[in-house]
Amino acid sequence: MSHNSDLLTLRGASKSYGAVPVLHGIDLAVRDGEFLTVLGPSGSGKTTVLRLIGGLEPLSSGEILLDGEDISRMPINRRPFNTVFQDYALFPHMTVAANVGYGLSVRHEPRREIARRVAEALELVQLGQFAARYPAQLSGGQRQRVALARALICRPRLILLDEPLAALDLELRRQMQEFLKSIQREVKTTFLFVTHDQEEAIGMADRICVMQGGHIRQLGTPHELYYRPNCEFVARFFGENNLVPGKLGPVAGDLRSIDTALGRLVCSVEGQPDLRNAAVGTAAFATFRPEALHVAQAGETENRIAGRIADIAFAGASTIARIAPDADGSPLLRLRLPSRIGGGEFTAGQPVELTFRPHEGHLVPA
Amino acid sequence: MSAAGSMQLAERCRALSVTALAFALPVLLILVPLAIFLVYSFFSVDHGEIRHELSLGNYVRFFTDPVFLPVFRNTLVLCVSVAVICILLAYPAACFLTTLKGRWRYALLMLLMVPLLMSYVIKIYAIRSILGLNGFLNQALVWAGILEEPSPLFVFNMNAILLTLTLLLIPFAILPIFLSLERIPQNLISASEDLGASRLQTFLRITLPLSLPGVATAASFVFVLAIGDFLTPQMVGGVNGFTFGRVLYSQFGTAYNWPFGAALSVMLALVVIVAILLGERFGRNRGASA
Repeated sequence: MSHNSDLLTLRGASKSYGAVPVLHGIDLAVRDGEFLTVLGPSGSGKTTVLRLIGGLEPLSSGEILLDGEDISRMPINRRPFNTVFQDYALFPHMTVAANVGYGLSVRHEPRREIARRVAEALELVQLGQFAARYPAQLSGGQRQRVALARALICRPRLILLDEPLAALDLELRRQMQEFLKSIQREVKTTFLFVTHDQEEAIGMADRICVMQGGHIRQLGTPHELYYRPNCEFVARFFGENNLVPGKLGPVAGDLRSIDTALGRLVCSVEGQPDLRNAAVGTAAFATFRPEALHVAQAGETENRIAGRIADIAFAGASTIARIAPDADGSPLLRLRLPSRIGGGEFTAGQPVELTFRPHEGHLVPA
Repeated sequence: MSAAGSMQLAERCRALSVTALAFALPVLLILVPLAIFLVYSFFSVDHGEIRHELSLGNYVRFFTDPVFLPVFRNTLVLCVSVAVICILLAYPAACFLTTLKGRWRYALLMLLMVPLLMSYVIKIYAIRSILGLNGFLNQALVWAGILEEPSPLFVFNMNAILLTLTLLLIPFAILPIFLSLERIPQNLISASEDLGASRLQTFLRITLPLSLPGVATAASFVFVLAIGDFLTPQMVGGVNGFTFGRVLYSQFGTAYNWPFGAALSVMLALVVIVAILLGERFGRNRGASA
C-alpha cells in the first residue's frame, strides 16, 4: 500500500479548556488512504485530536489543513469527515435504514438514490436484513456496524472512529477489528482510529501515533513502535517490556554499551543519531523484549544476566517468567517462553543465566 | 412441619400483610370513593331526597338536554386550546432552559416553578386584576395605542378563562418538555451535524421527534388540570364563561342533585382517563437509548 500524499495536516494544534491545556501544539500528518491509530492512555488528548478534526470543538490555536487548505473554521456539517462515536449515537427513533440514509437525506439526495446506497452500505456491513429494525433491537456489534455504515455512506474523505470497540466484549472486539480492517481495505477510505488499547492498535493500524499528556510521543508503524521506541513512555506502553536504567558507554558501530545494575549491556543505536552522539555517561534505558531474552549458550559472552526465577505465569500460548537478577538495584525482568504441555523447563526459585542479542536490545533516552 | 418451615410461613404471612396494607390504602381512599360515585350516578333525586334505585336517567338527561352537551363540547375545546397554547409557549422556554449552563439552568427552572408554591386563589385574583377593565393589560394596550379605550374583552368571559388557565398551568408544561429535551444525548446532536445536517434540520429531525414524549405528557397534564378546574372559571368567567366544571359544581352546591352531578363527573372522568392514556401512549419513548 502506498500512502504518498498527505490528506490532512495538523499544525501546532492546541486546545485548552479554560486554563487547562489538553493539547500542546501538536503536528500530525494523516496520509491519504491509511489506517492511522491514535493511541494513548485516558487524558492523553487523543479524543480531543479527533474532536478537533471532526469539528466538534474549535481549536484554541494552530490550524488544520485539508489538501493544504485551512479548514479550522469550517463548521462541522461542512467537513467531509464522518465520525463513528464511542456509544454509536444512533438515532433511537429511526430505523436502521433511516439512520444509515440520514447523511444523504439531509443533503436532499433523491429517494431512489438514497435507498440504493443504503442497501449497498448495509450489504457492506452485512446487515442487509436489519434495515427495518430500530437501534434498540440490535446487539452492540450490530449497532457498531450501523454506525459505520452511516459514516461510510456519505463517502467522506476521512472516517473518525472514537474508541468504537470499547463497549464490546473481547471476542466481538476481535471480530470487529478484523471487520473494520477489511472494510477499510475495501472502501480505501482513510481511517483515524482512537483507542487506548495497544493490542488493538498494533493489530489494525498502518501507523500508530502515541500520545501522552497532550503531546505526540512517537509516530510510526506498529513494528517501529514495538521494536524501536524513542522514549521511556512508548517503551513501557507496548507489551511487558524490560527497561533497565543506566549510563551510556562507548559506541561501536551500530552498537553502544550502557552501564547498568546488571553490568555492561550492549544495545543497538541504529537509526538513533541522538543516542549515538550523546555524551558518555548520559542517563538512558536499555530495553529488550521479554521474547528476546533466552537462556545463554556457551559462546554468548555479551549481555549475560544471572538471576533466579521469581515466579511463572501461564498466559495461554506463552508463559511469562519473572526473573530476579542477582545484581542489586535491578528491576525484575520478564522472560516470555512458548508454553509447553506439562510445564516448561523452569521452576520458581531456579537459578538461570540469560542473555539477549545486542541487535535485539534497544536504547531509549531517560 | 419443621421449625424452619413455620418460620418461613410466618415470614411469608408478614410480607403478605404488608403488601395487603400497601394496597388497602389506595383502594380505601381512591377506588372505593370512585365506586361510590359511580353507583350514585345511577340514583336519582326526588324533592330533595336521594332515591336509591338504579336507573340510567341521569345519563339520558346529559345526552338529551340541550344545555349540557354544548357546554361539555365548549369546555373540551377550551381545554384543548389551553393545552396547545401552553405547549407553544412552554416549548421555546424549555429549549432556552436547555441552552443554559449549569447553575443558571436550574436557577431559572426554579424561578419558573415558584408560582406553583403560591396559593391558587391568590394567583387567580392577581391575574383577574391584570385582565380587568382597569387592569394592567388594558392600560398597557391603551398606552401602546393598540386600543382606544379599555376593553372588557379580557375578563368575565371564555377569553379570560383561557388566558388565566394558560398562565396558571404553563409550569406544568415546561417541566416535562424540559426534562425530555434535557434527556436527549448531546452525542445525537453532534452525530446529526457530523452527518451534514444544518441546525434547523437537526432540530426538526432529531430534537423535535425525541422531545415529543415530553410534549405529550405536558399536553395531557395541562388538559387534565384545566378540565377539572371549576374555581378559575367561577372567578374569572363571569356569566358568559360557563364551563363543565362549573355545571358540575353547581349540581353539588346550588342544585343539590348529587346523582346527576355524579353522572356528569363520570363523563368528565372518562375524558380525563382517555387524555391520560393518550399522554401515556405517546409519552413513551419509541426505543431505548441507542
